[in-house]
Amino acid sequence: MATSGNKNINAKLVLLGDVGAGKSSLVLRFVKDQFVEFQESTIGAAFFSQTLAVNDATVKFEIWDTAGQERYHSLAPMYYRGAAAAIIVFDITNQASFERAKKWVQELQAQGNPNMVMALAGNKADLLDARKVSAEEAEIYAQENSLFFMETSAKTATNVKDIFYEIAKRLPRVQPAENPTGMVLPNGPGATAVSSSCCA
Amino acid sequence: MSMEASELQDLSDDADYAASQQQGSASMMRCDSGKRSSPSEHDDAELIYLKDNVAIHPTQFASERISGRLKLTKQDSVLFLSWIPYKGQTSNAKLSEKDRSLYTITAVPFTEVRSIRRHTPALGWQYVIVVLTSGLAFPPLYFYNGGVREFLAIVKQHVFLARSAEDANVFLVNDFQSPLQRTLSSLELPSSLPVASGQYPSDGGTSNDNQGRASADVGNRVSSVNQYGLRKQKSHDPTRDLSIHLLEKFSLVTKFARDTTTQLFSENNGFGSIDKRWNNQPVHSYPEKLSNIAEEKHQESPHSYLDNDPFKDEEIANNVDVPDDPLEVNKLSLVWGKPRQPPMGRKEFTAFLDSEGRVVESKALRERVFYGGIEHQLRSEVWPFLLGYYAYDSTYAEREYLRSVKQMEYATLKQQWQSISPEQAKRFTKYRERKGLIDKDVVRTDRAFEYYEGDENLNVNIMRDILLTYSFYNFDLGYCQGMSDYLSPILYVMENESESFWCFVALMERLGPNFNRDQNGMHTQLFALSKLVELLDTPLHNYFKQNDCLNYFFCFRWILIQFKREFEYEKTMQLWEVLWTHYHSEHLHLYVCVAILKRCRSKIMGEQMDFDTLLKFINELSGHIDLESTVRDAEALCICAGENGAASIPPGTPPSLPLDDIMLYPLEDDVL
Repeated sequence: MATSGNKNINAKLVLLGDVGAGKSSLVLRFVKDQFVEFQESTIGAAFFSQTLAVNDATVKFEIWDTAGQERYHSLAPMYYRGAAAAIIVFDITNQASFERAKKWVQELQAQGNPNMVMALAGNKADLLDARKVSAEEAEIYAQENSLFFMETSAKTATNVKDIFYEIAKRLPRVQPAENPTGMVLPNGPGATAVSSSCCA
Repeated sequence: MSMEASELQDLSDDADYAASQQQGSASMMRCDSGKRSSPSEHDDAELIYLKDNVAIHPTQFASERISGRLKLTKQDSVLFLSWIPYKGQTSNAKLSEKDRSLYTITAVPFTEVRSIRRHTPALGWQYVIVVLTSGLAFPPLYFYNGGVREFLAIVKQHVFLARSAEDANVFLVNDFQSPLQRTLSSLELPSSLPVASGQYPSDGGTSNDNQGRASADVGNRVSSVNQYGLRKQKSHDPTRDLSIHLLEKFSLVTKFARDTTTQLFSENNGFGSIDKRWNNQPVHSYPEKLSNIAEEKHQESPHSYLDNDPFKDEEIANNVDVPDDPLEVNKLSLVWGKPRQPPMGRKEFTAFLDSEGRVVESKALRERVFYGGIEHQLRSEVWPFLLGYYAYDSTYAEREYLRSVKQMEYATLKQQWQSISPEQAKRFTKYRERKGLIDKDVVRTDRAFEYYEGDENLNVNIMRDILLTYSFYNFDLGYCQGMSDYLSPILYVMENESESFWCFVALMERLGPNFNRDQNGMHTQLFALSKLVELLDTPLHNYFKQNDCLNYFFCFRWILIQFKREFEYEKTMQLWEVLWTHYHSEHLHLYVCVAILKRCRSKIMGEQMDFDTLLKFINELSGHIDLESTVRDAEALCICAGENGAASIPPGTPPSLPLDDIMLYPLEDDVL
């Protein structure tokens, strides 16, 4: 897979999920290793980047954090279009958020990049007493839909780095040059992951 | 600025006239002393014409005028023009003696006058603008008692005066031979910016900086002058008169002034032997001006902003060729943006009310709030007016009555969801979902702010109740993320549940479309923003176009919640009350967007930001935007854009009230 020597990869990643599932908190933990109890809602979208070393490669994640409310759904394609990876986040203490996660999976399967690496994150795993979605249920769903599943906690940092690391490992290393909708590009001079990301 | 009756009254006070009687000749002697080349006061100078109460407006605000006496004198068959401000008397305490002397015109020979532009509107003040052959122009001279026609008639008796073929209001004084002058005349200045504007009085430390920069980089922009077509202005006020291409010319004019002055500086060691053509320059401003020019020579970077600017460029211009800004905000705000005043206090507010509590002049009140905001303790009384909850012409008693009626109405509305039993809620998915959404948001809205901090905070509960009640009051719109951002400061200010609710309702009358399911309100505003950037910074617009950024989604958060996340809490309140005055425009927030983008333009283009990088950059500006200078820039841009700006904004664009009532909030299948 990986070529010899150092290889730098840029990968666009989008976080999708219900309101209050913890999308921004996961990013904040991953990018800044911080946690805010009352993380404010995301308006529009936020963009972050963070680099991970995986084996002999460096993966620079360009992370799109989106607003969760259904009403902003129409903006989502702008953010997931061209993404190499997605983390669909739900709150293990909220069944509705799991149902919403399934809808996101369906949409990405229908609209997104077929080679997209998709991860399902059952967040707030520290709140075991309030659990409404069992790990088994989520795991089965993930397997049926070719996702990989992890329970995470942005609050305790459990599995946060791991889920990004796992995505990085699964990214295709060799990108066919003839594919203009390529999701992962070598980090050449001026290269960016996706040039069409802001088309309406 | 339109001239309301009140302003006219204000300006018709007699102080200046009285001053003219007492001070006129004395001040002329003072100003002319020590100028060997000035002939106007010599015994053999013949007084041709004298007009009192001729004023200039150092800013666009008529209230800050400087009144004085206009004179025509003749010596050795050369006609001279002078204008001397009255000494000591002032219509506005903020204008210092120095300001007065800055604008003094001492005996300019008509051989150096290129043209006179007159403006004699049917309603409002008449004025003339005198343009010199050097390209410089004096500020408009307002004839408060009329008489422009007479003035021109007298001039015509003494010098050759020809009406311009291209503009009937322009009278050419001289025939030009030199190529430079031909260039200038081909520009056909529709009006001109004040000579002295480059020496606008310092107002707190930054404008000196600004003014240095303002003229530091004009040298590069001569070539871009012709990108705008010529356009005739019909407006009755010169501050509206100044169109965009005029600003280009302003740059050009400033360049000529600078070049000439620099030349003088290099040729003269002192001020004593300065060419007499520069005698019209204010005496007191010479040292400042010259030292600025000396400094400017070391400022090669064309896009350096204020030193404390967080988005200051660093060595960008060396790498990428960034197109020049056709309208530099520093320069604009220098000319037009007005420094903020201290917030309005109770005493001042009370003066706006009649004995029964009506706001007599709502525009004057809005103007006052626009330029200084409101003291916090007073906000709860003024915000309801700005938001449209109180009518300006309501009395104390009527407002008291309104509050009590509305309180009952609020209680009824609140009761609608409070009466939903757990059993009913089980069968009411929409209600549960909506409540769940609101519950999630209120606990994370401004929790670091002391009014909402801590566990079991009652204000958080009140915010929840108001939002839930609103979602019943306006069930079609419901709750949408961002609404809690709007409600939080309102509740903090009003400190009353019902009053906060109705203020919020009034705000949503205008901004509700921001939260439409089809995003229509946002799209309209983003579209208008793109049009404004196209108008006010074409190179930046082109850059966005080339980089697929024309949807302006990187400004989504700014517009959706009117910069709530960009400023600290107190600053947000200050900005909102300015925006809500709708003083210059209902859409000042869009000009605020343009102002911020223009401040960052060379960084954006220099670093070749793509959409992702741009969004990240814009989001990270949060907390680093200086409110005061931004509002000032926005005001300047708004005035500068004038009718073209207004025409760029489609009718009904929020926060304008909707054009009609049908389908305010278009529904889709999902009503959440």
